[in-house]
This record gives sequence, C-alpha cells and structure tokens, in this order.
Amino acid sequence: MSTYLARRLLYAALTFVGITIATFALIHSVPGDPVALYSGKMNASPAVLDAIRREHHLDRPLSEQYLHWARAVVRLDFGTSIAARRPVTPEIVRRLPNTLLLNGLALLLAATIGIPIGLWSARRPGRLLDRGTAVAFFLLYSLPSFWVALLLMQWLSVRLGWLPLFGMTSDGYGSMGAPAQVADRLRHLVLPVITLAYGQLAIFARFSRSAAYEVIRQDFITTARAKGAGEGSVLWHHTFRNALLPLITLLGLTVPYLISGSVIVEEIFQWDGIGLLFFDSIRARDYPVAMALTVVTAIATLLASLVADILYAVADPRVRLEREEA
Amino acid sequence: MRTWRRFRRSPIATAAVGFVVLMTLVAAAAPLLAPYPPDAVELGRRLLPPGPAHLFGTDDLGRDVLSRMIHGARVSLAVGFLATALSLVAGSFLGAIAGYYGGAADWIVSRLVELVLCFPFLLLVLAIVALFQPSIWTILIALAITSWTTEARFVRAEFLRIREMEYAQAARASGARDPRIIFRHLLPNALGPVLVSASFGVASAILAESALSFLGFGVALPAASWGSILAVAQEYIEFAWWLALFPGIAIFATVAAFNLIGDRLRDALDPRA
Repeated sequence: MSTYLARRLLYAALTFVGITIATFALIHSVPGDPVALYSGKMNASPAVLDAIRREHHLDRPLSEQYLHWARAVVRLDFGTSIAARRPVTPEIVRRLPNTLLLNGLALLLAATIGIPIGLWSARRPGRLLDRGTAVAFFLLYSLPSFWVALLLMQWLSVRLGWLPLFGMTSDGYGSMGAPAQVADRLRHLVLPVITLAYGQLAIFARFSRSAAYEVIRQDFITTARAKGAGEGSVLWHHTFRNALLPLITLLGLTVPYLISGSVIVEEIFQWDGIGLLFFDSIRARDYPVAMALTVVTAIATLLASLVADILYAVADPRVRLEREEA
Repeated sequence: MRTWRRFRRSPIATAAVGFVVLMTLVAAAAPLLAPYPPDAVELGRRLLPPGPAHLFGTDDLGRDVLSRMIHGARVSLAVGFLATALSLVAGSFLGAIAGYYGGAADWIVSRLVELVLCFPFLLLVLAIVALFQPSIWTILIALAITSWTTEARFVRAEFLRIREMEYAQAARASGARDPRIIFRHLLPNALGPVLVSASFGVASAILAESALSFLGFGVALPAASWGSILAVAQEYIEFAWWLALFPGIAIFATVAAFNLIGDRLRDALDPRA
C-alpha cells in the first residue's frame, strides 16, 4: 500500500514538473511579441516597451525565465496580466467562486438524475428500457453544447422571455432587496447550468450503468435477492454501494471535462468565471494569464486523479495489485 | 466478417453508416450540389428566412445557408478524418512500442500519456490553435497532440495481451525482426479496439472543430464551417432562428452517427456478448 502511494505521489510530482515545462514551452514557442501587441493599442515608445519587457523578464534567457516563473508558480504568484496591468492571482481567486458555483450545481444535477437512471437500466440489461436509454444518452452526449445554449437562449429567453439572455445579474441588481437578489441570481444560473449538465448527465448514466452491470451479475446480489430483499433495497443497498467505487474514478474524469465545458458556456453566457478569463486571455494573447490558467487547471486535474486513485486504492484492496501490475 | 454481421444486426448502426456515407458524398460533390456559391454576398437578401429560393434561409451577408452548410461538410469531415488519422498513426506507434518493449519505453510513453491527459482537452486545443494562428494545420496538429493518448492506451493494452501469444513467438522463432513482428503480426491483431476509439475520435474531432469555429478560432476560409455559421447565429439570435437550427442539426447528426457506430462496433467486437 505504502509503496503504491509513494510511487503514485512521485509520479504526480514528476507530472507537475512536466506540466509547468510543457505550458512554458508552448507559450514561448508562439510567434509574435505580446509586448508589441499590447503597445499597438497604447502607441508606446521603444523605451517604454523595453521597460515592460524588463518588468516581465522577457529580456532574460529562456531557462532563466522558466526558473523564475516556476519558482513564482510554486508560491502561487502568476505575475501581472499584460492586458489588464493587474496581478493575475487575485483575478483568478475573484472569479473562481463563480465557476465553482456553476459547475457544482451542474455536477449535482447531472449526478442526481444520471446515477439512478444508470442503475435502473443496468437492472435488466438488453431490455428495451436499457437499450433505449443507451441510445438516448448517446444522442444527448453528441449534442454540441454551444448549439444547445443557442437554442435555449432563443426559446426561453428571446421567444418566451422567461429567463435572462446572459450575464450573472440584471442591471438593477445593486438596488434590489435580498430575496430579489437571490431570485435574480438563480434566474441567471438556469440556462448555463442546464447547458453544462446534460452532457455530464449522459456520462454519469453510462458510467453508473456499466459499474452496476458488473456488480449486479455477482453472487452476492443473487444471495440478496434469494433472501428476499426488495428490488429497491437490492438496487440501493447492495448494487449502488459496490458500484460507487468505479464512480470515484469519475471524479478524475470529469474535472478536465468541466473546465473545457466552462470555456464554451462562460463565453456564450458571459459568465464572469475562469473559463471566460481564459478565453479573453487567449484572444488578447495575454500570456501570463493564459499560462496561469493552463497550469492551474492541469494541476487541478492532476490532483483530482491523484485523490481518486488514492481513495480507490484505500477503499478497495482488490484494486491495488491490479494497478501495480499494470 | 463475423463482426460486420453482428454490426449489421443493429438497424441504428446501419443507418448511422449510411448517413456517414451520404455526408461524405455530399462533401465530395459540394460544388455540384450547392445551389449557390458559398461565398456569394448579396446584401439585398440579408437574413431571409427559409423559403423556396433559399431552403435554409440566408445569413447576415445574404449568403445561402444551405450552400454554406454543404461546403461546410468538407471542413468538418476533412478535419474529423485527418485529425483522427494523425492521432491514430502517432498513438498506435507509441502504444505499440510501449506495449511491445515494456521497460523504459513503456515508462516514458505512460508518463507522456499522463501528462497530456492533465490538460483539459479544449483548453489545450484552443491555446495551440489561437496562439499559433488558426489554420487547418494548427487545428489538425492540436487535435492530434491532445487525442493520440486514447489510441496509445488501447494499443498498449492489446500488445501486452498478445505479445507472448504463440503466433508472436513463432514469428520471433523464425527470425523475424522486431519492426516486422510489431507491424505485420501484432498491430493488425490489435486493430479492433483501435477502430472503436477511432470512431469516437472522429466524433470528438468534428465537435472540437465546430467549437473552435464557433469561438472564432476555426479555419479562416470564405467557405464556412458549421461552427462559424453558428457564431453568426449567436449575433443575430433575436431574429434569425434558422441560422442556429440547421447547422446545429448537421453537427449533431454527424457526431451522433460516429458515436453510435463506435458504440455498436464495440459491442460487435466484444467476444463476451
């Protein structure tokens, strides 16, 4: 167990270094000078440009730039945004709750609907219900999220006027009372949450179906049925608890998916989160911001899969040996 | 052949194959099929709803949406197939090396896979494409860089399973060199799961290309892609529903077809089923 953990941690540390090198190499192999781009707007003199380059250490050798940047990254200091002339880290911290709220709600919605459907369809594999839901979820999974967002906006916002088109709050938000403020925020959450949730719902349903399918064929389920346990009890007490284990893996799986989804959804709905920040920084070639977000999201993914693997190994002793051989 | 028979048993999968063939033909014959040139600007006919002259309406510059979609099929399918082919070649090669030799080769490839998987797919693709100027080549390379890992993992796992089988040992005993064993004897036997992942790969490449075009980082051509028509639709969301509806259906149907083919192929190849 401890050797497995030690090795897993060592690999994670190695991957962390790999992430920083890959990100740094990617951004720095890009043609074009961010400072020149920035100055195009400002009409700055060459002396000012040099000063900006010095300020961002762009005049130093690459290896030195990398070490300087990597040392700062470890301290969670990502430098100053070239476009906004403000430190990057506070900006990320300010926007993070908005993204977490959106994704947390979407994840919750997807899990509470997707998992029961998946378990239910695993009960009678191959039957019409099972095959029908499988095809339905494949279709759901194939829907481009930006298209779904456009259709939802067109019908629910433009046509029916039920929900706001985009943004996080309405214009007169500051002058509203507390209950009206909550209602206003909720109304702005509906469309982005649905757009993020439907694809994950399909993933949750498929994943829990295949996890439950493996469990439901085992002897202890037959035993539970034989001793007279009701179908609901068999499903929730015996099957779900054992199928929960593979669902832990979903944790590591969904994090990068959520972040990718956030970029599109936040851009469409002008949601003031991490995804929109990344999109804007890419469009403005704001390297410090783009680099910070790439590293942060990659590390979040790394940590999620590390936590999932450790939980998995702690929870199920059968797993460890298989993993060590693989 | 047995796989194909089992595959054919599913009417949905057969329909999906038919649809993909149809779309490929449409893309190939685009200039013959499109009623108008895809980039014929006619400002007097801006934002016309669907009618007899323009079955799917016109866009903000008076261009025929149907014609642009027919030409857009070329971009979507070309990117889908080429990106998957690239990642298939790279992934199979690295996966085969890792699975066949094991040891250090396996260690390096496995760490590389772990590294790539840490980067959220769209984030990395967007960063590569946007920072290196959007073009069909940057899109293809970005998609290949981010998606070869799936194929590599499948091929590696298959190689671990088959490298000590009798026919591999026989080839080795008869003096075949490693490259011959890998590419002539083992790789063809590992192709089943790779085919499945390739089918899903085409679906996700088409989805990614349309997302990039939608976000404004797609192929910059006069002939639009499906995603870039949707980008225009977002601007005119308050009065032009047809701009959003038809290209979206095209993306959805094509992606769904490839996903369904992959799913049924997996079932057909599964010896347990």
